[in-house]
Amino acid sequence: MILGLRPPVALAALLAAMAAVVIAVFNWKGAPVTGQTFLVTTYIGLFLGALWAMYATGLVVVYTTTGVFNFAQGAIGVFAAFLYWELHVNRGWHSILALFVVVGLFAPALGVLLDVVIMRRLRTASLVVQLMVTVAIMVLLLSVVGDIWEADTPRRVPYLFGIENGIDLGPSQLPWHRLIVFLVAVAIAVAMRYLLRRTRIGTAMRAVVDNRELAALNGARPNAVSSTSWALGSMLGALGGILIAPELGLDPATLNNVVIIAFAAAAFGALRNLPMAVVGAMLIGLLRAHTGAWLDFGPDYRFAHLSIAPLILLFVVIALPQARLEVGRLAHNLRRHERFTKWWEGLIGCGVIILAAVALSGGWLDFGIWDPGAWGSRELNSANEAMAFALIGLSLVPLIGWAGQINFAPLAFAGFGAFVYLKLAGDTGDGYWILLVGLLCAPLGALVALPAARLRGLYLALMTMAFAQAMSLIFFPHSWILPTIGVGRQFPHIELFGVTFDDRRGFFLLIVSVFAVFVYALVLLRRSRYGRRWMAVNDSQAASATLGIPVVWTKVVVYALSAAMAGIAGVFWATVSGNVDSVQGFDLLIGFNIVLLVAAAGVSIPVAGIFLIFIPLFTGLGHRLEDTGNVDFLVTLLEIMTTYGPGLMVLGMVFNPRGAIFEMGRGFSPLLPWRSDARAEIAAENAQKREPEIGELGIERPFTPEEVIAIDRRLGILDDVVPKEGYGSARS
Amino acid sequence: MKHFRWLICLLAVLALVAAACGGNDDDDSDAATLAAAPTEASDSMDDGLGDDSIDDDMGDDSIDDDMGEDSMDDGLGDDSNAGPVATQEPEVDPCEAVDLEASDIGITEDTITVLVMADVGSPLSPGLFQGSMDGVNAWADHVNAEGGLACRQVEVVEHDSAINPTETTNGFLLACESAFAMVGTTVLFGLETTDLQSCPDAGGNEVGVPDFAYIATEPPHQCSVVTFATARPNSACPYSGSGPRTVQSQIGPVQWVMDNVTPDLSGLFLVPSDLPSTITSTMPQARAMASIGVDFHSVPGISGFTTQSEYGAFIQIMRDNNSNFAYTGSDGESMLKWRSEAEAQGLDADSIIWMCSLSCYTPDFLEAGDVVEGTYSWGWYLPFHETEYNQELADFIEAIDTDFPPAWAAGAWAGGVLLEQIVDEIVAESGPNGLTRQAVLDKARSLTSFDVNGWWGPADYATTQNIIPCFVLSQVQNGAFVRVYPEEPGELACSPESVVEHTRDWAADFGG
Repeated sequence: MILGLRPPVALAALLAAMAAVVIAVFNWKGAPVTGQTFLVTTYIGLFLGALWAMYATGLVVVYTTTGVFNFAQGAIGVFAAFLYWELHVNRGWHSILALFVVVGLFAPALGVLLDVVIMRRLRTASLVVQLMVTVAIMVLLLSVVGDIWEADTPRRVPYLFGIENGIDLGPSQLPWHRLIVFLVAVAIAVAMRYLLRRTRIGTAMRAVVDNRELAALNGARPNAVSSTSWALGSMLGALGGILIAPELGLDPATLNNVVIIAFAAAAFGALRNLPMAVVGAMLIGLLRAHTGAWLDFGPDYRFAHLSIAPLILLFVVIALPQARLEVGRLAHNLRRHERFTKWWEGLIGCGVIILAAVALSGGWLDFGIWDPGAWGSRELNSANEAMAFALIGLSLVPLIGWAGQINFAPLAFAGFGAFVYLKLAGDTGDGYWILLVGLLCAPLGALVALPAARLRGLYLALMTMAFAQAMSLIFFPHSWILPTIGVGRQFPHIELFGVTFDDRRGFFLLIVSVFAVFVYALVLLRRSRYGRRWMAVNDSQAASATLGIPVVWTKVVVYALSAAMAGIAGVFWATVSGNVDSVQGFDLLIGFNIVLLVAAAGVSIPVAGIFLIFIPLFTGLGHRLEDTGNVDFLVTLLEIMTTYGPGLMVLGMVFNPRGAIFEMGRGFSPLLPWRSDARAEIAAENAQKREPEIGELGIERPFTPEEVIAIDRRLGILDDVVPKEGYGSARS
Repeated sequence: MKHFRWLICLLAVLALVAAACGGNDDDDSDAATLAAAPTEASDSMDDGLGDDSIDDDMGDDSIDDDMGEDSMDDGLGDDSNAGPVATQEPEVDPCEAVDLEASDIGITEDTITVLVMADVGSPLSPGLFQGSMDGVNAWADHVNAEGGLACRQVEVVEHDSAINPTETTNGFLLACESAFAMVGTTVLFGLETTDLQSCPDAGGNEVGVPDFAYIATEPPHQCSVVTFATARPNSACPYSGSGPRTVQSQIGPVQWVMDNVTPDLSGLFLVPSDLPSTITSTMPQARAMASIGVDFHSVPGISGFTTQSEYGAFIQIMRDNNSNFAYTGSDGESMLKWRSEAEAQGLDADSIIWMCSLSCYTPDFLEAGDVVEGTYSWGWYLPFHETEYNQELADFIEAIDTDFPPAWAAGAWAGGVLLEQIVDEIVAESGPNGLTRQAVLDKARSLTSFDVNGWWGPADYATTQNIIPCFVLSQVQNGAFVRVYPEEPGELACSPESVVEHTRDWAADFGG
C-alpha cells in the first residue's frame, strides 16, 4: 500500500500526476506567479469546490440511504434556483424568507413527493430502470423550468450574502459570501456525516438501504426513512442551485451541467464517503481555478479546463474497487421467459418496416378522417434525422438490452464514426467506406470495454457518461476532427451502387433499409450462441464464468459490435445534417434522450429503436396541422408531447420496466395465427389470476395480522408463542 | 375597405416615387457624423476601405487621424435630400393600373408571404430569439397599416428552428415552398444552406430564397448568395471554413476613448470561445484594437460555463499589469460577471474603461445597478430612446410596443425595411407584377448603401466584407445609457478611417 492506495491505483495516480505536469509545462501561459495571485486563485478554487460539494453531499446522502443515484440532483437545484428568483427577485420577498420557502419547504416536499410517487415503486426495479427514471425526472424538471420561466426574460440571482465586503487580503479581498458558503458546505458535510454515522435516524437510513425488511423488524420505518433521505437530498440540491446560480447565471442547461462535477466529487468518495466527496469537490475546484489562471490550451483544446471533472470521474470510476456495487436486483427483475423471434418472422417484420416506410412517405395511406398525403421535404428531413437516431439507438440493444452494459455514450461512438468516414471518404460521398467505418469504430468500443469489463451497473453508467462528456469537450471540438466549412456540405450525399442519394425520399428509403437490415441481423444474432452468452453474462457473471463463458471477452465483443453499429449510424446522422456542429451536436442531453427513449421502448427488443422516430413524427405532424390551420389545441398538444413525451414515457417504466414495445408485442402477438404459444401464455396468466382469489373463498379482503393471530389462537396453534398483545409486544 | 386600400396604395406609390427621386448621389464623407433623418440619408462608403488593410502584428499599426478632433463634426443632416413625400405628383397608380398576379412563390393577388425563422422553442431556452419574430410581426403590421407591400398585404409565417440544425433546414424548406422571402432570420445553426440557395422559383429556376436575416453566424450562412444579414458579417466570402479570412472591424469607439479619455490603453479582451464562429468573429476586433495601440496583456477565452469566480483570474492579470481597459466580445452577462468580480476583489473599477458592443445594450444590463455604472457600449444604430430624431426608429418603437426592445427585434425590423425598400424599387421599375425572387436578389446584390431610413449607419450589401462604418458610443450613467459620442442626439459617427481590415487565420490567432 502506498499512501493508503493499492499499488495499481497508486501507479495510475502517479502517471496521471506526471501527465498533468507535462500538460502544464506545455501549456504554461507565462503569467507571473505572485503570492497574491496564488492566494486569490486558491480561495476561488475552494469556494467553487464548496459549491459543488453541496451537490455532491446531496448525491451521497441519497445514494447511501436509498441506493438510488439521483441524476436529477442538478435539475432539482435548477428548479429551486428559478423558484428562488421568482420569489425573491420577481415578487420581492426577503431573501431569507424566499430561501426558507424554497429550501425549507418546497425542496423537502419535492423530495418526499418523488419518493412517494416514484422512488418507492423502484425499490425492486433493475438498476437500468432506476437510472433511467432519475434521468427522466431530470429531463422533465428542466422542461418544466423552461416552460414556466421562458428564456426571453434574462434573470439574475443575487448573492445571498453580498460580495462587496470581505476580509482584506492586501490588494485583494475575500468576500464574506464566499467564506460563509465555504464554511456552510463544510458544516453541512460534517453534519451529514454525523447524522448518518452517529444518530439513530442515520443508522436506520443506512440499515434500510442494506436490508429493508430486517431494518423494519428492528423498528425502523423504511418509508419514513426513505422520504427523509429524499427530502434531505433535495434540500441540499436546492441550496446548491441557489448558491451556484449567481456564479453562472440562470440558464437551465448551464446550471444542470454542474451536476457532472458533483458526480465526479461523489465518485471520489466512492459514492458513500462524505468527507472524501467534499475533498474531491475541493480538488476539482482548485484544479479548475489554477488551470484557468496559469494555463492556455489554444483553440483546439479550449474546453480542456471544463473537462477536468469528467476526466477525474473517468479516472476515479475506473480506479475504484467495485465490490460494493454488485447488483443482484438486475437479474432478479429482468428474469426472462424468452421466446426468440424466428428467422422468417424477422424477415417478415423487416419487410413490413420497409413497406410501411414506403407507404407512409409516399402518401399511400389514407386514414379516412385525415389523409396525410405524400411527405414533403420537411417531413422527409425530420424522418431522416429520426431514422438516423433510431439507428444509433439500435446500437444499444445488444449492449444494454442483452448484455446489461449501460452506455450513455452512443452519440460519442456515432460522432467517431462520422469523423472516420469524413477522413476516409473526404468529399466523395463514397458509401462503400461505411463498412470500413464500422470496422474502425469497433476497436474504440473494445477500448472502452476494457475498463468497463470490471465495472457493473452504476459505475459503468458514470464511466460512459464521463467518456461521452470528455469526447464532446476534447475530441470533437478539435478543428482537425470535424473542420468547419464555408460552402456546401461537410458530409456529401452518399453514393452507393452508382446511385447518389441526394434526394430526401431516396435517402429515407436507404436509411430505413439499413435499419431493417440491422434489425434482422440482431434478430439472428439474438438466436445465436453469442446472443445467448451476452444474456447469460447479464443474468450472472459468476454463473457464466462457471459455465466456461469468457466474460471479459464477451463484453469486449458486444461493446465492439455496438460501437461499430453506432459508428455506421453516425455516418447517416452526419449525412442527414450535412454539417455537424462540433460543439452542440454532441450535447450530453441528446445522448441521454436517445438512451431514454430506447429504454422506454424496451431496450432488449431490436425494433425498439423505431421509438426514436416518435418525437420528430410529432414535430412533423405539428407542421402539417399548423399548415392546415384551426387546430391550435392539437398543435399545443403535440408540442407538449414533444417536450414532455420522452420523460413521461420513461416514467412509465416504473409500472412497466420491460418497455412499451414489449407490452404492445404481448398484446398483439396472440392475434397472429401461428402464435399459439402467446395465446397459451395469456390463458395461463388468466388462469393463474383466478386461482387464489380470496373472493372465491367468500372473503372480500385479506386478513390483518391481528386477525391472523386471533384465528391462530382460536385454532390453538400459537398460544404458546404469541402473547395476547401480539407479535410486536412479544419481541419487545 | 377596398377604397381605403386604394388610397393607401396611392400614398405608398407617392412615397416610393419620392424616395426614388431623392437618390443617393452624395459621396462626400471621408469623416462625418451622419445626421439621422426621417427619410433616407444614405452615403456611399466605397472609398478608402481597401487601403486600410493591416497585415502585421498587433500593436504595430495605428490609425493616425484623430477622430475625436477633426473627423466627426461634419453633419450630414443637410445631405438627406429625400424631400417630403407629398410634394411629388403621381403619374400613374401601379396598383390600379394592373391586375395583380401571383408573380412568384409566396405572392398572390392580395398577399406577400414572408417567413421569419428564429431559435425560440428549445426545451431548455424557450423564447430565446422571440424578439426576432416580434420584430417581423411588428414590421408587417406597420407596413400593412401603411398600405402594404407592392399593393399587397404582408403575411408572416413563423418557424421555430429551436436551436436545432434539422429544424433550421426545415425552415429553409418551408420558406422555399411557401414564402416569397425570409425576414429577420435569427438562427445559430445556419450550417447547411444548400436548400436555401438552390430553391426553385415559380418558373423552376433554382434562384434561391431571398433571406433578409438579422444574423448569420456560421460561414455557410454568411456566404450564402441569397442571405443579406442586417448585422453584417464583416467577413470576406467565399470562404473555405478554415485558414485566413479578411475581416473588417470598427475601431472608432476605442479610438475616441484614446483621443478623449486616455491615450494609453492596456488591458484584456475576452473572447467568447464556446463556438469556432464566436472566436473568429471577435478575434479581429481584438487585433484591430491592438493595431491602433491598445496593449493587451491577455486575450483569454470565456465560456458560458465560466463562473463569476473564475473571472478572478482576469482581475489578477489586470491588477498585476495596472490595466485600464477591459473589453468583452461576449454578452452583457459576461461584462456583468467581470465587473462584479472586480468589485468582489476590490479592484478600483473607476480607473478602468469597461467596454462592450450592442451585446450590453439591454435593459437587463442596466438592472444590475451600480456595478455596471460607467460601462461603455457602442452600436451602429441610433439608441432606442432617440425616437424624435428618426421616423423609422419612432415607427419601430411604436410598433414593437416597448421602450427598450431586444436587439433581435431591431435587426429583424431592419430586415423588413430592407425588403420593403427593394420591393418598392422593383415596383417602381417593373410594376407590382414584376416582383420575383430573382428581381429581389438582383437588387439586393447590387445594393451598396442601406441605412434603414437613417436609423442605422449605411451598410454595403454588395459585399459581405464591408462593415457599417458608423458608430454611436454610449455610457451607463446613473442607471441609463447616455450617448457620449457623437454628442448630438440623432447622429452617428461615420468614417472610413474608423474601419480597419485584417486577413488572418482567426482561429489559429486565438491563444485559448
